[in-house]
Amino acid sequence: MVHLEQCKRVLGPGVTFECPSFNASAGVQMALWGPSGCGKSTLLNLITGLMRPDHGRIVVNGTDLTPLSEGRLDRFRGEHFGFIFQTFNLLAPFTAFQNVLLGMRFSDTLPAKQWQPRAKDMLTRVGLGHRLQSKPNSLSVGERQRVAIARALANNPKIVVADEPTGSLDPKTSSAVMDLLLELCQEESVTLLLVTHEQDIAGRLQERFDCSDLIKEPAA
Amino acid sequence: MTTWRIAWQYLWSRKLTTGMTILSVALGVGLITAVLTLYDETRKRFEEEGQFFDIVVGAKGSPLQLTLSSVYFMDTPTGNILYSDYELLRDHEDVAHAFPIGLGDTYAGHRIVGTSREFFDAMGDLHTGQARPPFELAEGRYFENELEAVVGALAARQTGLGIGDTFVGTHGFMEMPRDFAHLHDDHPYTVVGVLEPTGTPNDRAIFCALEDIWRIHDEESHNGHDHGHGHDHSHGHGAPNPEEAAAGADPAGDGFDLTAEQVTSVLVILESPALRFQFRQWINENLNAMAAIPVNEIRDLYDRFLGTAQAVLLRVGYLVVVVSAISILIGLYLSILQRRRDLAIMRALGASAPEIVGSILIEALIVTLLGIGAGWVLGNAVAWIVGLQLVHQYGLYIESFGAPVSEAFTAYALVALAGLVAGILPAYQAYRADVARDLAEL
Repeated sequence: MVHLEQCKRVLGPGVTFECPSFNASAGVQMALWGPSGCGKSTLLNLITGLMRPDHGRIVVNGTDLTPLSEGRLDRFRGEHFGFIFQTFNLLAPFTAFQNVLLGMRFSDTLPAKQWQPRAKDMLTRVGLGHRLQSKPNSLSVGERQRVAIARALANNPKIVVADEPTGSLDPKTSSAVMDLLLELCQEESVTLLLVTHEQDIAGRLQERFDCSDLIKEPAA
Repeated sequence: MTTWRIAWQYLWSRKLTTGMTILSVALGVGLITAVLTLYDETRKRFEEEGQFFDIVVGAKGSPLQLTLSSVYFMDTPTGNILYSDYELLRDHEDVAHAFPIGLGDTYAGHRIVGTSREFFDAMGDLHTGQARPPFELAEGRYFENELEAVVGALAARQTGLGIGDTFVGTHGFMEMPRDFAHLHDDHPYTVVGVLEPTGTPNDRAIFCALEDIWRIHDEESHNGHDHGHGHDHSHGHGAPNPEEAAAGADPAGDGFDLTAEQVTSVLVILESPALRFQFRQWINENLNAMAAIPVNEIRDLYDRFLGTAQAVLLRVGYLVVVVSAISILIGLYLSILQRRRDLAIMRALGASAPEIVGSILIEALIVTLLGIGAGWVLGNAVAWIVGLQLVHQYGLYIESFGAPVSEAFTAYALVALAGLVAGILPAYQAYRADVARDLAEL
């Protein structure tokens, strides 16, 4: 499903990201685990095509991302990935319903006539059927992350990437959000790549990839 | 959800900034619209009026002054000419109609115009079927007897004169306090007719027989009126033509004391408009008078003098639009800086760079189009308000809130283009965004 081979990327003077090998099979729920600044997010950016490697190959769902043009890469990202961010990253001018619609509109994986029923369905499944018309700033942090989960899954992606999705939540909300995320990814048969520095969160996923040795810095 | 909707939501999310930017565009467009509408509409009305008559003949002086005073009842006359000149003109083979005009008095600021009955009859016949005939009786009849008057619609409304009312004229064209005014108390007019509104200067005028004007001025002259009591006889205008004074045409010496055997001017309709230039030359060579072609004088006035004013005002309008375009640019640029994360999220969700650019350009276009729309309303509102004043002052009706003139379409297209161009830099900024960095940094 996701395969990285000898990937390198220069991040700064003498600072290099190096990932000799990474594999995630279809439907797996994998934690990309390691301390802050170890290169977890860079790995996620490379996998999703938000960042290009200076060297190496990245293959996602059988497609080599490295030769793709910017436009093809944008389209590929929209079709194959769903994103969940630590700070939710909902678009403030839009309602919860519109935020989910926008995800589908940009990814364009479903026919337009299915967008509205699918958005309502996803928001109902995350328990926000009654908050469709609420703007992000009127939602609690837990509700915002649930909207983000609904948005990430609404366009039927093959892979959901979640970058510290519980990093801004209190423990109780964090646990509830993780339950929801894991359950929905399983129901939708979606591969989940979840970046976290918390061991207990990483422990809840089927597989773990240790990212602690991805950044190479010159010895002081 | 369309790109237009996305762009609109972002504009709506910063209502105040968007509103201010729209207002600044609207001010520029409003100024352009008002200037173009007023210029075009007044020119059209003046030219329509000017087209009624092929030639106006009066005392030598400024042809524009002669035209404005005799056709539009706006300026002071250039002096008087001999009645025999009118007869010569009337009997000329190239002349279809010639109407004598005698000016000199006013009532409550409205000109009292002495003329012949043929003026109404012929003009009515000539313009039958036109949208706006120059004369049409609303009530009563035209003058037939001594000291009878027909009042224009606006003059009737502003003075309150109606059928059967009487009034006395004041000598000269300036409104003066009653104590200083020279009133023709011995010769009260009786209103016998009120005209329909026509949107022409006739609305402001009060018409009577030319003979009444002669009678009033002759009798008062013979009764020892020296026109020197208590008012400035020069009226600050209209110095007499020396040749006219020598011919005894202006015994009182103020240019407005119309006595028998004189007229202020003659309005001429030729057998064919093609004869205008030739006939003007004939008059200038054969009569002790001056001929002017009203429509040409008005065109000259607009092209030479008002055209320059229009150009200056339009430049100010375009300058405001340029400033507005810069404010669109700054507004969008700042908005892009604030929205770097949103744009990065959209890219992460699958939006392509061209889609993001399109959305930003649409934002610029929406602001500009709304500014143009608001400016059109604003400009027409200004034209409407000025129009009310023009009706009140000159009886000149102008149309506002109509289809924009072709020059305005060009101006609006230029403004829209300026707005779009203003969106290019912010759009380019968004296009070049580093999505991974923007998602990480913000």
